[in-house]
Amino acid sequence: MAETMKQTVASILKTIERYNPANLQTLERYVDMQSRDNTYDLEANLAVLKLYQFNPEKFNADITCQILLKAITNYPHTDFTLCKCLLLESVVENETISQIKYLADILEQCDFAQFWNRVHQMPELCNRIVGFHDSIRKFVCHVVGITFQTIDKDNLANLLGGIDDVTLKHWVKKYGWRDDGDLIFIANQDENIKTKNITEKIEFEHLAPLMALL
Amino acid sequence: MYSSDDYNEGGYESYGDYEPHTGDPQYDLEYDRSYYKMPDMVKKFLVYFRNMINEGVTYEIQNLYENTFPKLTEQYFENTPWPEESEVGPLVDNDHVFMILYKELYFRDIYARVPGGPKPEQRFHSFYNYCDLFNYILSAETPVPLELPDQWLWELIDEFVYQFQSFAQYRSRTSKLSQAEIDALNTENKAWNVLCILNVLHSLVDKSNIKKQLEVYATGGDPDSVAGEFGRHSLYKMLGYFSLVGLLRLHSLLGDYYQAIKVLENIELHKKSQYSHVPACQISTSYYVGFAYMMMRRYADAIRTLSSALLYMQRTKQLFSSRSYQNDQINKQTDQMYHLLAICLVLHPQCVDESIQQVLREKNYHEKMFKMQYGDLGEFEASFTFACPKFLSACPPPVDASAGYGSHAVKHQTQVFMDEVRQQKMLPTIRSYLKLYTTLPLAKLAAFMSMARGGERDAAREHAALAIHLLCFKHKMKNVVWSKGPSGLDGKFQSGSELDFYIDNDMVHIADTKVAHRYGDFFIRKILKFEELNRKLHHIKI
Repeated sequence: MAETMKQTVASILKTIERYNPANLQTLERYVDMQSRDNTYDLEANLAVLKLYQFNPEKFNADITCQILLKAITNYPHTDFTLCKCLLLESVVENETISQIKYLADILEQCDFAQFWNRVHQMPELCNRIVGFHDSIRKFVCHVVGITFQTIDKDNLANLLGGIDDVTLKHWVKKYGWRDDGDLIFIANQDENIKTKNITEKIEFEHLAPLMALL
Repeated sequence: MYSSDDYNEGGYESYGDYEPHTGDPQYDLEYDRSYYKMPDMVKKFLVYFRNMINEGVTYEIQNLYENTFPKLTEQYFENTPWPEESEVGPLVDNDHVFMILYKELYFRDIYARVPGGPKPEQRFHSFYNYCDLFNYILSAETPVPLELPDQWLWELIDEFVYQFQSFAQYRSRTSKLSQAEIDALNTENKAWNVLCILNVLHSLVDKSNIKKQLEVYATGGDPDSVAGEFGRHSLYKMLGYFSLVGLLRLHSLLGDYYQAIKVLENIELHKKSQYSHVPACQISTSYYVGFAYMMMRRYADAIRTLSSALLYMQRTKQLFSSRSYQNDQINKQTDQMYHLLAICLVLHPQCVDESIQQVLREKNYHEKMFKMQYGDLGEFEASFTFACPKFLSACPPPVDASAGYGSHAVKHQTQVFMDEVRQQKMLPTIRSYLKLYTTLPLAKLAAFMSMARGGERDAAREHAALAIHLLCFKHKMKNVVWSKGPSGLDGKFQSGSELDFYIDNDMVHIADTKVAHRYGDFFIRKILKFEELNRKLHHIKI
């Protein structure tokens, strides 16, 4: 069922049919499905926003919210920005959409503590998207993975949304990190992140004509 | 029989039976209209132009299109449009195709030169003329017998998208429209609909099989093998290719950067190919691609795209100076590209080619970059609004639209960009401290940061704030970068900026990129210059 849906949508998106408002219903159902099944299709979601852009009278705030929340689950990719660029100017006044934009804004600034704080205040919104919290934890792990060589264990647990010891162990294992007591060892970063020296190389061909002058 | 030599031998003189002007431009204009007699030279030109098109003499068509037409415009139609359809028709046996092409030039000239811009009915007529042209090309059972130079085909598609853009802007300036204009817009609600534009461009793409052709070409095959009956013809093939670039532009104007980049699949921007010989098209492509990448926070890709186009233009400057009518547009776009590059380099410092660096060191850009580095949000916004495309609303304004409706789309995209800049506001400060060290304890960096802010000291809070900024630094500087593959959307996460770091518990380890001065290059150039001078001196005989 899910697979046929995906196929149907893919064939709509391939042609000029993607701009046909008659297809909006199918595409909107596909958004609902993504929220329920924890799947994701950016291109289809952008096509929905584009149809709203072309047919403002068909705008659906609820679907838009789901699309934006799904885009948040795909950090560190810039999907949220892509969606934001397609939002109608008039939509900016919608209260729920402003809240979601605020969530994205603090996530982009990596203020994870504040983010979790906010999310816990709006459970009904985020719980609609299956797997929402874990997607954010994946993003946190991505940022931690590129930033730290070793990190304080409590700090990591907080960044991941104040998770308990067992859950933390699960994430540490998942990313192949190492538990060193109070510290978590992430990776040997000095192999990837080192000072580069760009020196000038002079090719023989560039010097040859000078030799002829002497 | 007309020959193009006529122009070189002062053939314009024959236009002597024209009565003197009154000196009042308004009166002259009306006078010209009512007593208008088409100059012989123009008559001859039109007949000859039509013959050349019918005979398919491409190089001569190119010459007439690129040189003669602008020259005649300057000579005879400086303050007036070209002759009306009804006057030209009888001269060329009302040749259907030629008249469509003529009208395309006629309207384009009005858009470009007539003060106050085209009237609503001219906008509509121009639109229906495009419909006639594309219907003729697209609904034919076999490829139509028409060959036009690629430069013309490019400008045709580019102009089509431009006129849509111009219409959308015109329609959204609700407060400036008269009641008659609003009525005209309401009755003609089909013309210049965004779906029509998309439909035309998509149809041209499909008819030519250009996507398949590009795919085969990219893998080293022969595009003709998949081109099909239509796609093998130069007219269809190039219209298809230019329509892809037209779609890139259209999607960008609507803020759809994903589709903008996606539509160019299988086009390798920086490679010379059989499709890349129209400079204006190349430049326009790079501008929109660079912009879309910047909006997607793919700075390394944006910088690569923009600097490679700007280098190409530096090297081929002479090519552009000869064709004056394209120059304004190209100069403006160059300036915009330098602005975009400056923004990207402030947000994502990175090494670029020396000759590009040199231009950016010039006062104008240098000052702007300096201000942006110091967090001047106003400068970011000013540079962005100067350099960005003229964004559009896809739909007609609502009946109760407020006065500022026309600028909403630009404001919205600016807002999205400025959100990004604000999120990154602390990064330049952090970068400036990190640059001074190879290792630095977190606590010390936190103290620096609070000094910079001049606030009172609260160690725990400073520490927490710094930790967030450092994570943000790493997140924002690690972006998708294209390396290979047919789609410009693909890529891997890389940190391409010149300064990087990692945190080991509470110590920051910094990795910088050190670029040695290019002495060798400098001396080689000076030696060659000196030698040249010396040689000249020897040749002087006193």
